[in-house]
Amino acid sequence: MLNITDLKYEYKNADEVYKYSMSVKPKEIVAILGQSGSGKSTLLDLIAGFLDASSGSIQLDENDLTNETVEKRPITILFQSHNLFEHLTVQKNILLGVNKVLKENIEDVNKVQAILKEVGLEKYEHTLASSLSGGQQQRVALARVLMRREPILLLDEPFTGLDVETRVQMLDLVKKITIENNLHTIMVTHDIQDCERIANRVYRVQNHTLIEQ
Amino acid sequence: MLTQWSRFRSSLFPGALVSILLLSFASLLFFILFISQDDARVTQFDPRVWSLLKFTLYQAFLSTLLSVLVGIILAWSLAHQSHFKGRSLLVALFSSSLVLPTLIVVFGLIGIYGRNGWINQLSLYLFDYSFGSYLYGLVGILVAHVYLNASFASRSLLHIFESIPKEKYKLAKSLNFTTFQRFLYVEWPALRPTLLSIASTIFLLCFTSFAIVLVLGGSPAYNTLEVAIYEAVKLDFDIAMALKLALIQLAVTTLLVVFSSNFRTNLTNLKTSSTHIPWSEAKHIKQIQMAIISLFALFFISPLVVIIIDGIGADFGKVVSETLFIKSFFTSIIIATVSSILTVIFAVLLSDTKRNFTLKNRLEDNKFSKLLNIIVSFLGNLYLAIPSLIMGLGFFLLSQRYEAPLVVWSTIALLTANILMSLPFALSVLSPAMQKTAQRYDKLIFSLNLSKLQRWVYCEYPYLKSSLGYVFALSFCFSLGDLGIIALFGSDDFSTLPWYLYQLMGSYRTSDAAGVALILLAITLSVFILLPRLFRGTDAKHN
Repeated sequence: MLNITDLKYEYKNADEVYKYSMSVKPKEIVAILGQSGSGKSTLLDLIAGFLDASSGSIQLDENDLTNETVEKRPITILFQSHNLFEHLTVQKNILLGVNKVLKENIEDVNKVQAILKEVGLEKYEHTLASSLSGGQQQRVALARVLMRREPILLLDEPFTGLDVETRVQMLDLVKKITIENNLHTIMVTHDIQDCERIANRVYRVQNHTLIEQ
Repeated sequence: MLTQWSRFRSSLFPGALVSILLLSFASLLFFILFISQDDARVTQFDPRVWSLLKFTLYQAFLSTLLSVLVGIILAWSLAHQSHFKGRSLLVALFSSSLVLPTLIVVFGLIGIYGRNGWINQLSLYLFDYSFGSYLYGLVGILVAHVYLNASFASRSLLHIFESIPKEKYKLAKSLNFTTFQRFLYVEWPALRPTLLSIASTIFLLCFTSFAIVLVLGGSPAYNTLEVAIYEAVKLDFDIAMALKLALIQLAVTTLLVVFSSNFRTNLTNLKTSSTHIPWSEAKHIKQIQMAIISLFALFFISPLVVIIIDGIGADFGKVVSETLFIKSFFTSIIIATVSSILTVIFAVLLSDTKRNFTLKNRLEDNKFSKLLNIIVSFLGNLYLAIPSLIMGLGFFLLSQRYEAPLVVWSTIALLTANILMSLPFALSVLSPAMQKTAQRYDKLIFSLNLSKLQRWVYCEYPYLKSSLGYVFALSFCFSLGDLGIIALFGSDDFSTLPWYLYQLMGSYRTSDAAGVALILLAITLSVFILLPRLFRGTDAKHN
């Protein structure tokens, strides 16, 4: 279980204090709704470790992640864009999730092939990321989630801008991945339909405070 | 399509006129250079010319390599250290390297690394040992070129580092990249597309470098084509030799400009940013980055400090009361002001015409648009292919053929060279800004049926104000510090501040030279740093 307890954050030169408390069970998708600038992405930055909380705690089961550095947190994050290195192939982009020197070993390459099949991109292994469509790029990013198998998945409006059909496919894929891999998924969105389709629970950021709906 | 052309007629004609003017000038220059080569020696390629060409290419290659390497390392350090005190001032100073008069940079470098410079004096005091005059020759040329161009490269590259999406850094961090992997996968791919363009600009600047080689070259073994042209005209009065060298130089620079594929000059506005990269560096990396910044800052600032300290010690009463100083001062200011105003006007007109050929809702779809865009761009960047000393030679030959008072030819030559020298940089600032304004407001302006004047007053000017101020300041400083054309036309009757400073340095009046160098430095930095700020305050913003 992922527990976020009394997490607080203050931006420099601003009076507002952002307050977050929530929990996410394994295989569960929790959606965060809120207006632009309400502090939804700040929550993801705090969980991922890009921002340091002024107080509170982040715990995954028995492990306290609050003071861990970004690289030590068991997290994969997907942004709205820039999730891939455009000059690398699909295969290398996925391998980077586990193998930084990009030395191909048979085991990893086979694994990438299997994962690409799972996300419906088996023919694109050696295609440059820059030549993929927006939807395909996000599929590759999801393939990397599967490759990494980190228990926390953070989604920062990753499907905004995709056409309705692709968007629905991607949401279903997220749901499948979450359930099959016991992930704790937090999805920031401003689309209520996304929530209705895959979220188990919904939180809303109101007056800089996270409230369960 | 005809209605499209007529709708944009008012923005096509002025730019077309400027283009025709530039084209006529280039044709006239080529014509005068070619009809003057009536000496058989012009076509002979003797060993002296070959060795000049080899050394010119060699020093430009080394200077470019070193400048780009130092530029990358410095920009990388600055990008990751965005919160130390004085950072924005330091970045602004590095940006000013582009407009610092090369002669005062040389003066400052001699003050540090010269025979009687600070380093030798310190070494003599501490160890009773002098390194001698190691600055003259290839070392001095490289040091001065790296001084001016590494800071220029770092400023352009810093802009690239700061433009890398923050998500890329966050992604790399969450994937547990090392500093090297971050550079390899995130930063290098962003830098690579711009590097060729930056390197080719620096190569051209070093290939045609004049004042630095003239003063620091030391002996004929370290002469470049540009200096050899000057010596052939001014010292030997060997016009045939000067023509031969000019034609070789022209051939090489034209090739370089064509092969560098586009004419971008990679100039970003002076605005300094302290964008925070979401990656806190390990302690030892932070120390390395701060050491790199400190070392380069020391290397960059120390010659300026020498100019200030030596300048303060000068007898200003005596310096400013000299007739030649007063003449040089006013000539410099008047020429710089007039040429900057004309540069701004030409750049606006050319950018206004150029955007017709690149915007979808204008004439982009026309089959001639691509070609016309290339022609206008090339003409605006003529200076990159025709260095100022060759322009000077052209005007010099014209003055020999068509008699007129020397001051008239000198003024025309200086104004033309200064405008052409500033235009590539002016266009690289104004053209994207004007393109953006048209992209955003064309439909609105056409639907409101605003006149050309109303469009300018209500839309273009408020958005372009700071860029216009920057271009004016840039052009003013370029003109103020140039020692190219004036080296051929300079005399006691017609002189500018850089020429006067060169004369003082040549006659070993070091104290007076220090005073003039300080005045030049003060004017340049004040205009370049303060003037754009005056315009920036009320600038409208694109959302």
